[in-house]
Amino acid sequence: MSTSTVDPIICGRVTRSLDRTELFAVNGQRLADIGVVPQLLAQTALHELRAAADGIPPDPAILVRAAELFCSGEPGGETVAEYQHNTARATGLAIATVRRAARDIMAEVKSLPDATVADLPPSALASGVRIHWVAAGRVFAAVMASNHPAPNASWIQALYHGYSVVVRPGGRDPFTARRLVFSLLEAGLPPHRIAFLPCDHRVGEYLLSQADRGIVYGGDDAVRRWQHSRQVTTRGPGRTKALLDRKCTADIVDHLTLSAAFDGGTRCNNLSTILTSQSPGEVADALAAQLAEVPVAAPSDTIAILPAIDAGRVDGFLRQLDGLRTGLTDHSAALNAGDAFVKLDDGSFLARPLVMSTTDPHHPAVGLELPFPFVVVAPWESSSGAAPLRNSLVANLLTKQETVVEQALREPTIRKVTLGKVLPWSARPGVPHEGNFTQFLLEPKGVVTIAMLRPGDLRCVG
Amino acid sequence: MDTNQAPVALDSHSNFDDRVSELVRWHFDPRTGSPFWLQRAASLPFDPLTEIRTTSDLLMFPDVSDDLRTVPVQDLIPQGVQHNDFCVYESGGTSGPPKRIVNGAFRIRMLSWAMLRLMEQGVAIPAHWLHLGPSGPHVFGYDCASYARLGNGTFYTVDFDPRWVKKLIAAGQSDVVERYITHLLDQLLEILTSQPIRVMSTTPPLIEAICARPELHALVQKKVATIVWAGTSFSPESLRQVKEYYFPDTNIIGIYGNTLMGVAPQRPAQPEDPSPCVFEPFPEAIRVELINEDGSTVGYGERGRVRVHLVTEEMFLPNVVERDTAVRVAPTHAGAVDGLAEVRTFKTLGEVQLVEGVY
Repeated sequence: MSTSTVDPIICGRVTRSLDRTELFAVNGQRLADIGVVPQLLAQTALHELRAAADGIPPDPAILVRAAELFCSGEPGGETVAEYQHNTARATGLAIATVRRAARDIMAEVKSLPDATVADLPPSALASGVRIHWVAAGRVFAAVMASNHPAPNASWIQALYHGYSVVVRPGGRDPFTARRLVFSLLEAGLPPHRIAFLPCDHRVGEYLLSQADRGIVYGGDDAVRRWQHSRQVTTRGPGRTKALLDRKCTADIVDHLTLSAAFDGGTRCNNLSTILTSQSPGEVADALAAQLAEVPVAAPSDTIAILPAIDAGRVDGFLRQLDGLRTGLTDHSAALNAGDAFVKLDDGSFLARPLVMSTTDPHHPAVGLELPFPFVVVAPWESSSGAAPLRNSLVANLLTKQETVVEQALREPTIRKVTLGKVLPWSARPGVPHEGNFTQFLLEPKGVVTIAMLRPGDLRCVG
Repeated sequence: MDTNQAPVALDSHSNFDDRVSELVRWHFDPRTGSPFWLQRAASLPFDPLTEIRTTSDLLMFPDVSDDLRTVPVQDLIPQGVQHNDFCVYESGGTSGPPKRIVNGAFRIRMLSWAMLRLMEQGVAIPAHWLHLGPSGPHVFGYDCASYARLGNGTFYTVDFDPRWVKKLIAAGQSDVVERYITHLLDQLLEILTSQPIRVMSTTPPLIEAICARPELHALVQKKVATIVWAGTSFSPESLRQVKEYYFPDTNIIGIYGNTLMGVAPQRPAQPEDPSPCVFEPFPEAIRVELINEDGSTVGYGERGRVRVHLVTEEMFLPNVVERDTAVRVAPTHAGAVDGLAEVRTFKTLGEVQLVEGVY
């Protein structure tokens, strides 16, 4: 397939930037010619967007129509197949993951009214006294990553509540955000409500600094600056952990395998650490054996689950893992015939699942998250309680110890708790992913329509 | 122009070969050469006095520019130079400790030529000049003071310490960087409000910062006729935004350069130029070559890494490979030197950054 061109879209206009960069597929082939937005163009776009930002929420039907176009239309002249193909080649995601992500986005957009109701307390306080929730500002900035397309639903939620939105797409996945923007424009979103700005990290930071509210996805380096920001919410490494404090039966192994390997381990809430009162080595062996059954298939294959990675990143991971090997036992090496990364015919590498164990609960690999099925199993004792589960997007508790469950519920750095064989991403509208996103976007405003003081009350006030 | 140095005409390539052969003899003659080169002469695998005749022969020299980080600068001064009126300048210090050079009379000769270039681009006299940029050990401030003097203008300054800013950025202290930039811009506002500034020299990031402050941007638009930018690269789209959106009625002139190679002001645009901003180095004393990884010169329209030869009576720096890359542009006429466009910082391939997380 020939190289495609991706350019910024500012208030409905595809704007050719003089600054160009090339996007390479995971197999090293040139995939797209990208128009990059420098800070001054970003500022020009923000000026234009902000000048027209009126805070009025668009008709929700436009957003649903856009999600439908995204899933099955040809927004901007791009077919579904072209989109899926480009995204899979650029990110290495299995084609099945890309397809499922589109359905996820559709489901999230359709559930926005329900999610809003679930996320907010009842607004009527008394007769003539209510809370009115309004967008906390006019402009929302989304700085996306490329690990998975589904998180792009977050900025559609900002549009739903009346924000004008600037999107900085992931460096390896400019396709998802662009397709969504074309879909929204085609569905009838007023053009001045949205800008698609491929740019580097520095300009991404600039967008966040200029927006009234924003979200940033990425590694620790990308999110650090915003961790204590009121305006910007962060989606850093999830470091989802399971506490396995029961016998590691076959059904548990199935559950942990799916938690780690679903969507090829590319979700922020895929399992990456297991803390166990059982033998870490035995748990790791059982999990590694099950994960080794995940098919070794190129991302374009419909049965594929595992992600493909480019040669440069493979070198990086190998070096990173080499630096951590002391004190770790590799339970996958024997099953994978030594190749954690399998070279595919096209020159990219398939990341096979990797399970490690350690006897040291403080080993630096405990809590490490990598963008493929990667699990470290470490020992856990009742006496340490929920402390080792800190800093988890999700803690999956497979224990009958009530005190540990209570501790986990009280621990603020554990953002979600699942009990038993429940997958980390199990949710319904209203279940916070990482805090209450609706309340982050909105501000409560008191509306009082009945007189609560009478003129005669003035003398009581002074 | 108020200068005791006559502006120099463009030199042909053959003249530059003559210059190389003459000045290499000067730098390696025990009576006239600098201690720096005389000490290194013995270790060279060739005889510079007899074997260096042309520009291409300069490639036989090793790149000694790293030594400029540590050598006492007095050792750089050729013994044959009669006066002792030298000052020292330092490079930015991005890639390790700064490199030092000495300057006596050479630089003002080059700057006289450069000022003519700036005037061709619209700098009017008297050029009352405000420099909002590095000064101190950095040569950018000295250069701009000289332009102001050559243009019969008054020279105003706002101190800017780029090394401190780089440290803040490396430490992730972007909030302190923002406060520092605000502090610089507040001083700019103060000067512009009451003083008749016509030319402002500054860096691309500071131009961006000015554009982000509407009242200051409006004041610069109103009072400053020419903005001269240098110091860091400016992307083509950024430059277009500056010219078309932020400062449509202001002269925007770029100068490429650094401490070692001197200045390469923007030359008048040619119809066939591939880029709206093409730089041209001082032909009398400097040759810039854009090279492939194997050291061969790239073709016109291709990007290559910058290699510089500086050949003056005061300094001899052959075969210095810089951290920048640029696109090679054909000369404006026969005998003129190549132009450079779209300068960027060179990044080695395989600089794979380890990032934790699924991202």
